[in-house]
Amino acid sequence: MKSIPISKSKQRLAEQPTSIASKAKALRNNSLLSRISSKSRWFSLIYRIFVYVILIDLAFVFLYPFLYMITTSLKHPVDLMNFTIKWIPTSLAWENFYYGMKGLQFWTHFKNSALISVLSVVGQVLSCSFVAYGFARIKFPGREVLFVLSMFTMIIPPQTIIVPLFMQYKTIGWLDSMLPLIVPSFFANGLRGALFIFIFRQLFRGLPWELEDAARVDGCGSFRVYWKIILPLTPPAIVVTTLLSMVWHWNDFFEPSIFLTSEEKFTLPMMLPRLYQSLDTLTGSSFEVFSLPVVMAATFLALVPMLLVYLFLQRYFIQGVERSGLVE
Amino acid sequence: MSGKRLSLERKKMLAGYVYIAPWAIGFALFMLYPLIYSLWLAFHEVVGVGNFDLEPVGWGNFNKAFVLDTQFIPLFISVVQDAVINTPLILVFSLFIAILLNHKIRGRAFFRAAFFLPVLIGSGLAMQQLLYAGVGRDTLVNGIGVPEEVFLYMGPTFSQIVFDMLSRLTVVFWKTGVQILLFLAGLQGISLSLYESARCDGATEWEMFWKITLPLISPIILLNLVYTCVDSFTDINNRMMVYIKDTAFTKIEMGYASGMGWIYFMFIFLLLIIVFVATRRFVVYTGEK
Repeated sequence: MKSIPISKSKQRLAEQPTSIASKAKALRNNSLLSRISSKSRWFSLIYRIFVYVILIDLAFVFLYPFLYMITTSLKHPVDLMNFTIKWIPTSLAWENFYYGMKGLQFWTHFKNSALISVLSVVGQVLSCSFVAYGFARIKFPGREVLFVLSMFTMIIPPQTIIVPLFMQYKTIGWLDSMLPLIVPSFFANGLRGALFIFIFRQLFRGLPWELEDAARVDGCGSFRVYWKIILPLTPPAIVVTTLLSMVWHWNDFFEPSIFLTSEEKFTLPMMLPRLYQSLDTLTGSSFEVFSLPVVMAATFLALVPMLLVYLFLQRYFIQGVERSGLVE
Repeated sequence: MSGKRLSLERKKMLAGYVYIAPWAIGFALFMLYPLIYSLWLAFHEVVGVGNFDLEPVGWGNFNKAFVLDTQFIPLFISVVQDAVINTPLILVFSLFIAILLNHKIRGRAFFRAAFFLPVLIGSGLAMQQLLYAGVGRDTLVNGIGVPEEVFLYMGPTFSQIVFDMLSRLTVVFWKTGVQILLFLAGLQGISLSLYESARCDGATEWEMFWKITLPLISPIILLNLVYTCVDSFTDINNRMMVYIKDTAFTKIEMGYASGMGWIYFMFIFLLLIIVFVATRRFVVYTGEK
């Protein structure tokens, strides 16, 4: 009596794998790509080649400014005039970099730039994540209105408020110092501070509440929850914010050019338009001698710190963007 | 019991305000106050430069911008034109690249790194130096690999048009790094099971793009749209921005500069409101809210 159901179930068991497999096969056959590839493998091959050709081609367009900068910066003036030479110089003119360093007065202005951008980054990461914790994890009346207001600051063009800011800083004696460039960062403002608040808030909202509740039951205050639990869980957001904030502060030209007046306080990129002038006074010769290669060497030098930072953070950065909850 | 709970709630609320405090102070000091002051300034003109003696001029500065100043309106139109042409190009192009990069391909890390690199140059002075040096003029032409013979056949006028278009595109492309990353993040956030079930129902790749991918990344499209607009209006190579800065700090007409700044700001504000209202029907939000 009992043997029949067992054998039946065995039969069923034996049947199941094949039925699943055939279903899966049917499903796979149903999908467009495989339907086409079963008809002609050529289509998918051609499609792949097409994707690679386009990507390589466009990657070239995107790498072009860097390739151009590097190769041109290593050219002698003679090579520059020679139309048969497009990319590879006949001999490497390393002295362009020497003049570039000299013309930019690299180390002085590197120090200024580094000081401004590193301090701003520290300020923005700390203050924006702090504020974002409040916006993301604590309920209080007026939260939504304040958040919308903070996002609203993103669309205020700097030109609109630059005159009053200038007057304000003049009154308190901050002109020609780095304070106007650094201090707003510590108050979750500064360059695109609102964007960073947004990034942190998005990520904080996605973290499980149980973690926080457990910590609170154990007697953690909300500051310790933020500092010891929430912040360490979000390296992606920290990396993304650090890199973007660093690059934007480093390249910023509008505010430094208004608030800084004496040359020894200029940032590195601000020296680029003064390159010839500065080389002339330093070497006592006319700028005809220095040409495009020196300018390109200097431009490259002004960007090298950012390149190094990016190379160092690149892997974490791209993972970070994918996981940083920028996705709604 | 309930009284104790209330006080706890209130404590928590207060903590919320403590967290917002740095931003609120910064906002008041570096945004709100300057913004209000600049509105006030827009109706005045600085007469004594030394100690900022102000003289009320009523609507004079706005009148000057729209009626008297021959440079303002053409500049404004050209800036708006740039934004209107560039923004859709940037959006479509960055979405296209992000979709390509989302494929399982070899060297994905390299390509992602490459497409982000121009962000490091930004729109700062380094970019200006490169553009002066003529980079961007022939980059895309080289990239696509159009042989020069083709240009010879096309004749000078037509080839000039194509050339200008391509060089404009090159500079536009370099501004897409951040947008590509945002789109990529969005694409990675779509769960694969949606595509699988659509496939079971016999949807084609094309249909899946329009019915799944596009609606699900619509919030990111909106985010990118806003970001791109704001970015293009506040770019330092933007001639309007340069003009306002020169008016304020070279010609020392600070009241007039504030007036122009406010016209500019109101314009961006209205534009974004229009964008939000117009896209409201098309943006799909999933999840709790």
